[in-house]
Amino acid sequence: MALLEVKNLEKDFKEVKAVDDISFKVQKGEIFGLLGPNGAGKSTTISIISTLLKPTKGDIKYKGESIVKNSKLIQPKLGVVPQEIALYPELSGYENLKFWGHAYNIRGKKLKKRIEDVSEIIGVKERLKDKISKYSGGMKRRINIGAALLHEPELLIMDEPTVGIDPQSRNHILETVNKLNEKGTTVIYTSHYMEEVEAICTRINIMDKGKIIASGTKDELIEIINGNKKINLKFDKVSQSLIKDLESIEYISKLDVSENEIIISSNNGENIFKDITEVVTASDSSLISIDINKPNLEAVFLHLTGRALRD
Amino acid sequence: MKVRDVVYKDLKLIFSDKKALVIMILMPIILSSILSMALSGSFTDYSIKKSIDIAIVKEYDKNKELKKFKNNLSNGIFSKNMSNEDINNMTTKVKDFNIENIFFNEFLDNKEIKEIINYKVLKRSDAINKLKNKELTAIVILPKDFIFDMHTNILTPFRNKVDIKVIGDPDESIKSKIVESVMKGFSQQISTLVIGKNVFIETALNEGIGYEVFNDIETIISDMTSNIKSNNINLDYEKINGKKSISSFSYYAVAMATMFILFAAGYGSRTLLEEKENITYQRMVISGTRKFKILAGKYFTIFTLALIQIITMVIFSSILLKANWGSFPLVMLISLCVVFAIAGLGILIAVITYKIGNYKVANVFESAIIQVMALLGGSFIPVEVMPEFIQKLGSFTINGLALKSYIKVMMGYGINEIFSSLLTLLIIGVIFIIISVTLLKREERWKYVKYNKVKTYETA
Repeated sequence: MALLEVKNLEKDFKEVKAVDDISFKVQKGEIFGLLGPNGAGKSTTISIISTLLKPTKGDIKYKGESIVKNSKLIQPKLGVVPQEIALYPELSGYENLKFWGHAYNIRGKKLKKRIEDVSEIIGVKERLKDKISKYSGGMKRRINIGAALLHEPELLIMDEPTVGIDPQSRNHILETVNKLNEKGTTVIYTSHYMEEVEAICTRINIMDKGKIIASGTKDELIEIINGNKKINLKFDKVSQSLIKDLESIEYISKLDVSENEIIISSNNGENIFKDITEVVTASDSSLISIDINKPNLEAVFLHLTGRALRD
Repeated sequence: MKVRDVVYKDLKLIFSDKKALVIMILMPIILSSILSMALSGSFTDYSIKKSIDIAIVKEYDKNKELKKFKNNLSNGIFSKNMSNEDINNMTTKVKDFNIENIFFNEFLDNKEIKEIINYKVLKRSDAINKLKNKELTAIVILPKDFIFDMHTNILTPFRNKVDIKVIGDPDESIKSKIVESVMKGFSQQISTLVIGKNVFIETALNEGIGYEVFNDIETIISDMTSNIKSNNINLDYEKINGKKSISSFSYYAVAMATMFILFAAGYGSRTLLEEKENITYQRMVISGTRKFKILAGKYFTIFTLALIQIITMVIFSSILLKANWGSFPLVMLISLCVVFAIAGLGILIAVITYKIGNYKVANVFESAIIQVMALLGGSFIPVEVMPEFIQKLGSFTINGLALKSYIKVMMGYGINEIFSSLLTLLIIGVIFIIISVTLLKREERWKYVKYNKVKTYETA
């Protein structure tokens, strides 16, 4: 049985259909990614899973029971990291964590221990006494995550947790997600940063305009565009014989030739690089540079929608 | 989550907000000190250290009006069906009934009244001149037909309106008010007597006793009059004995405390929407905290904050300004009742602000409504100097009710005299709480989510 099952979920905001008949399952122990541009319906979907919104249609089952009918089933087991810094800036990190611990009825020694553990995990132990308003963006994000971890949730929902922070803090957060997952926490991770989703998610839903437009593992998604690779070669000059030899390679689907540059499109990743190297070495043209663009989720999204993820 | 967790957190936030602390704790202390020092001269009026000099102006002609009454008794509608013997009996009783004696000798010359009011009978023009020259505090005018109307009211089943007019010195407004209230007390007691007598006559006539009833009316009136006169005097006696001198320091300590607790309501009224905008409200809801628990948290935050304000003011004004707040248990009782109502008002504005989704209502409350309430309730100047309709409006304000109660306790009144004000405060509080909970319940179908970076609201 899936830990979470979303069935035919719809959500209307007056004229706008924010979520349009989506279904998916989240298995226990996985990091499930929701990828899509702003306005794709990710936040609305997780707001419904968080019991903050009621769906217009459809159902969500947690361990087989409807949380739309009974939100209390999931609330104690759920940790939510909102996109915004949902903290009290004028209280210290410690006071914030203490308050959110109380929100889940953790008190006394147990709470003290949990605050210690969580601050260790998120790497803010040294700054706990400082007011949140004195923290950097990355530090605030870490406390924002920590507040959702105090009650050791079974399912952790993270809504764009790395928006607007420095690379160091971003890496720390991604590492934290991986560590939590290793300890058994199931994670739903939403982002419009394709690199993050690619790096940590075991399965991914790509959403656009309220719908799921593709779903699967990273490799399964890339397979949608047939493993299309682009290899960019630059020469001192491009000879006709070189073009002819390259065209003879079996897996090359397209060659774009300019004055001293050739862009090769290929749908096979196994031997193509070896074959190209042999042809180029044997030619009378001198190779200046080689650039291989591997297909990624950005390309998949572009392929499916005709738009870039960050558009 | 427990309600106390929300309260504890909110109070921590408030005490970390220096601006809020200055407005709510420091400002009332500073303002009460400044105002009480600046206006201390005008506050001698609040004490009844010296007796009040008044003039009584008789605008009636006693003999003429008695004659007129006797004529009416013999020839009017009232005596149409009476026998000559009954009419003679009634006429004899007229001689025995002396309203002037009751008013002057038994009422104004009563020992307790005499302690505070000195009177002289003067002509109207002389009295007005003396009032202008500040030789008198007030003039009491017994109007034309006073004797005729009082006899008609007391000795017949008819009722004529009698207006005893009080002209006061505007510079001695509180003393004038005292004279006015003493006269009102007299009028009210006479009215009670008249009503009682009329009920007696009507009942007797209905029982078929006929005009013989008037044979016993002398005894009945005599009994009633002495009873009511003593009641009347006793009533005033208590009031006058209870009054103590109130200094400007005491007055403004109360006035500022009752005004600035309104700012606690104003401060609290913003916090619900602030939580919503910071997503901490949603985070609490996701954790399984019921909305009504959050609301209760906000209620008790305002409650505690207002109580802290009052206690601070009591301590400060008692120690440094030497203000005398009166009975401590009564002060605490008033404080609890007023913060109960204030917290109710605070959450009502909080829910409205939350529901509307902007701070306009809270801003209007803080910038305009509090000032109006403060003025009406007597926080700037005592309500006694304001027109009567403003005084009436003021008696519906939370701060006005609280100020009135505190002042009474300062003057030495007991629980009975403040009971109605306290009950009104509790009723106001209950009404505000019920409206707030109802509005929030209706709101339960409204949810918030950030969608496309635009705040979107839904109606389910």
